[in-house]
Amino acid sequence: MNNIASSTAPGFTPVSADSVAWLGTGPVPAAPYYDPAYYELEREAVFRHSWLQLGHVSELPEPGSFIRREVEVLKASVLLVRGRDGHIRAFHNVCTHRGTQLVEAESGRAGNFSCPYHRWSFSTDGRLLSAPDFESFGLTKEECALPAIALEICGGLIFVNFEPKISLREEMGPFADWLEKFPCAQATQFSEYVYEINGNWKLTYDNFQENYHLRFIHPRTGGAAVSDENPFGYPVKYGFHGPHRTQTIWSNPNVKPTPLQAISFGKGAQFAMADGLAGPHARDYLALFPNFFVIGTPTQSFSHTIWPLGPERSRGVIRLYWKGEDDCASRRYAREYALASARDIHAEDRAVIEAGQRGLSSGALKYIHFQTQEALCRHLFNNVNERVEAYKAELAGGAA
Amino acid sequence: MSALLPDGFAALEPFVVRWAVSGTAARAARRGASSAEEREAFYGAAKDMLLPALAYLDGKNLAEFDAADNRLMDMMLSLAHVALAVEGLGNDEPRHAEMRRHMRITRSPAGV
Ligand code: FES
Ligand SMILES: [Fe+2]
Repeated sequence: MNNIASSTAPGFTPVSADSVAWLGTGPVPAAPYYDPAYYELEREAVFRHSWLQLGHVSELPEPGSFIRREVEVLKASVLLVRGRDGHIRAFHNVCTHRGTQLVEAESGRAGNFSCPYHRWSFSTDGRLLSAPDFESFGLTKEECALPAIALEICGGLIFVNFEPKISLREEMGPFADWLEKFPCAQATQFSEYVYEINGNWKLTYDNFQENYHLRFIHPRTGGAAVSDENPFGYPVKYGFHGPHRTQTIWSNPNVKPTPLQAISFGKGAQFAMADGLAGPHARDYLALFPNFFVIGTPTQSFSHTIWPLGPERSRGVIRLYWKGEDDCASRRYAREYALASARDIHAEDRAVIEAGQRGLSSGALKYIHFQTQEALCRHLFNNVNERVEAYKAELAGGAA
Repeated sequence: MSALLPDGFAALEPFVVRWAVSGTAARAARRGASSAEEREAFYGAAKDMLLPALAYLDGKNLAEFDAADNRLMDMMLSLAHVALAVEGLGNDEPRHAEMRRHMRITRSPAGV
């Protein structure tokens, strides 16, 4: 076993406390991680104005392809549709007559969308096409188009924003170019697993932006991430742009894979190289505010979106991105192994996050603590809290 | 009478019933519901067959697999799950299976 105390072996230098001191160093209030009132504020202050990752372009392969996505935190149902012109658009899944949810299917392909209630019918680009006895309303069809939601695509990923204050690309700055070079930008399909958790969305998310827990929670599955020179498997560097952040994952030179792990990841790596997936961000993790991150590794590139369902409840959606069909047995095998091994690790995280939530929800703590190597967690809190405070001030101003 | 598995893989026939499972989620569930003895027996018999099996199957188009080929493919895909338990988790696997149950596989190129 590694000796934690003698962590001064050469070959790895952790990010210094000084370089992230601008984020603050003090304790962080605990209530935002369980308090229902704080959650209500976050819904408006954070989620209503943020770019939210809802899908991947491969889910909408042809004109008329659609998917329905529920965004519980905003009580919204969103319809993503590829129009006849090839463009992908987002609409509220709401009939403009009297509000009935237009589409029930989770996904599919349609020439138009017809409301079950009184048969108003909408085109794939949101226009009202026809409505029975429409003359009796005294309305124009233009007034009755489906309510659109702002949508941008970056790196093959579909983002929507219910009330944007800034464009996605502007907000991402240099990270937009990064994302375009991640494997998801070239992906044509993905594997997915989903979990629900008794955990606040920030507490859940934070687990995946610190490595401090690796050696304790993933002693067997995460062995490759730690060694004598870097006993906690801390990242090589952190980066920030506005509310977004990155870390560069440390490469352990002394990994000893198990026999089938070597074969399986070896095959995955061969395919990734042949497919041209080894980009400049192979060791980079990119976290887009508020609830999405993606890893650039060519062999097991995955994204993770954490959807708030309530102050103490969330849903995680994990996707591993693949370029091309399963064109042979080896490729199919390598993808199965990659999925199963990632899922093994994430299963361990889920259990310990729930334990954290139980403690926080008891109200026993006024504060929690982040060390230097939990800087990304602090950065998330700072950005959420800044928005919540501004929104509270706005409400107070409006009430005055 | 046709063989359960392609030529050369008869040694794996005792494991067909349990491990030739179609669908990624179903394979994950089978691993989760298996005993340590079952996993170790399968892993022991199959691990050295993985590369020969994939080499054989790679010689065909997936769409042209016959029933025996499909069984062999599904068994190798099950081996991916089982190897994680045997090589990685060891005696932690039962506790782990309970945690894993919450991670629902909803999409896979091999079919859920
Ligand atoms: S509510 Fe949709 S047609 Fe009446
Ligand atoms: Fe973890």
